[in-house]
Amino acid sequence: MTRRVSRFDLARPSRRHWLGYLLLAPAALLIAAIIVYPLFVSVDLSFQTVGIARLDQPRRPFTTDNYARLFASPDFWNACWVTLKLILVVTTTCFLLGLGTALLVNNRFRGRSVARLFVAMPWAVPEVIATVIFAWMFDSSFGLFNWLLMKVGAIDRMINWFSETGPAFAVVATTMVWKGYPFVSIMILAGLQSIPEDYYAAARVDGANAWQRLLNITLPSLTPVIGVTMVLVMLWVFRDFSIIYVLTGGGPLKATQTLSIMTYEQAFGFFRMGYASAVGVVTLAICVVAAMLMMRRAPDHL
Amino acid sequence: MRQRPLPRLALYLSAVATCAILVFPIYWLVVTALSQPDQLRQLPPSFWPSQPNWGVFGRVLGERPIGLWLINSTLAALGAVAISMAVSILAGYALSRFRVKGGQSLGLFILTAKMLPATLLVIPLFGIFRATGLIGSLWSIILAHATLIVPFTTWMLKGYFDTIPQELEQAAMVDGCSPLGALFRVILPVSTPGLAATALYGFVLSWSDYAYARTFLTNAQGNWTANLGITTMKGEYVSNWADISAASILVALPVLAIYLFLERYLVGGLTAGSDK
Repeated sequence: MTRRVSRFDLARPSRRHWLGYLLLAPAALLIAAIIVYPLFVSVDLSFQTVGIARLDQPRRPFTTDNYARLFASPDFWNACWVTLKLILVVTTTCFLLGLGTALLVNNRFRGRSVARLFVAMPWAVPEVIATVIFAWMFDSSFGLFNWLLMKVGAIDRMINWFSETGPAFAVVATTMVWKGYPFVSIMILAGLQSIPEDYYAAARVDGANAWQRLLNITLPSLTPVIGVTMVLVMLWVFRDFSIIYVLTGGGPLKATQTLSIMTYEQAFGFFRMGYASAVGVVTLAICVVAAMLMMRRAPDHL
Repeated sequence: MRQRPLPRLALYLSAVATCAILVFPIYWLVVTALSQPDQLRQLPPSFWPSQPNWGVFGRVLGERPIGLWLINSTLAALGAVAISMAVSILAGYALSRFRVKGGQSLGLFILTAKMLPATLLVIPLFGIFRATGLIGSLWSIILAHATLIVPFTTWMLKGYFDTIPQELEQAAMVDGCSPLGALFRVILPVSTPGLAATALYGFVLSWSDYAYARTFLTNAQGNWTANLGITTMKGEYVSNWADISAASILVALPVLAIYLFLERYLVGGLTAGSDK
């Protein structure tokens, strides 16, 4: 059917110009002021030796020292390694837990909608509150986890979760998984509901068992959703500040210091804002590459 | 489909067990808040508060400026949502209805902006707010939260406007309405559910922020937001978990309420602009 071009068609060429631009202008101006300009400032700062950013003072001479120091710094490579480890652990666990819960509540049973509501509930708990809950559950003297692990005989002494490197990493990862899996679950559930029931009926006629149906129908149909969701979870872990900062502050011995935490600590702990901006710019570059990979998967959506 | 009873029972049990484990931390927060202080310093822990201490909420509200923190969080969220919605409604509508040159790239940029690390933006914003004297005022986080909210609301609203047939505006314009009049008198009224859900989603984003509040407001105690206040309690009263838990519940309650009432809309918004 050919599209009728009416006098009132908003996509008509003469309407394209002034009104469209006018409507986009406020958003464009706001974004320019609070996102684009700040981004420009931080790139600019990363090429200067600046302590506290003072925009009312003349700019310092151009230098690439920050980047040279950064790539020579063991702290930077440690932060990269911690970030990568955290991403792998949290994303994988979130995926398994999210897939499991989504498959579970996708079944038809009485009380399913309540189960759905509960399964996704941690998503609605603010990150700071989630850290409060887990900080208390991992408390070294009266926390639930120490008691539970002693009870089942997994440990023979109380673990001081926040002053040992491995346990601190485990606390951060656990908190992030709890906060992050509901998102995966919600997204996969939406994906599951778009798979036609006929596929399963046909597979049953052919004698496929539940496991084969999962491997050959469910997972392949979910691949695009899973791909995008995983990228979003990775980016979330990559950028997260509040969970790690409130739980451990990046310690002990930088065992939980991701690139985000390092950026913040350099900027507001040591007031090396030029250096911190360099860390931030490198972080951003990694984010942009990841975002572009994701966009390539969703071109028709734009 | 016919169901055999045994798998059916297994399904129920695993659903109940999964929910129980995953929601347990929230339950534990409530139990902790309601426990007597000495009950929290004993092992094995008691999983059910035998004498629930309901007075803890009133006490914590009286002893700590939690009411003030909640008001500040609310003001910041309202401000950030108002600014964001104002620009996002127009931009989302333009992205949905017009094929403006550069509109697509602006849309793409907005989508990418969702991925910006707050720890990077916080440095230049700190410099800018210092130079303009906004550090310590609620305006600093209102503007900073808009950087979080605008990308989401613009895309959610574009998605929502896409579902409204163009014939509605066309009919209005045939009746003599101007294009802007059609937006405000026809499209916005029928979009109320979408607008409400989007605004509430923005509210949640602002309410949950910690990074910006920590950076811009630390030295301005009178303007502390709820999340910032809670973390100072955590550092200060390491042993008083009942109070911290009670305060946390008060802070989490508005967001949980929004979630419970609007689960469907919020989940729809979550998947908008990022799915497929």
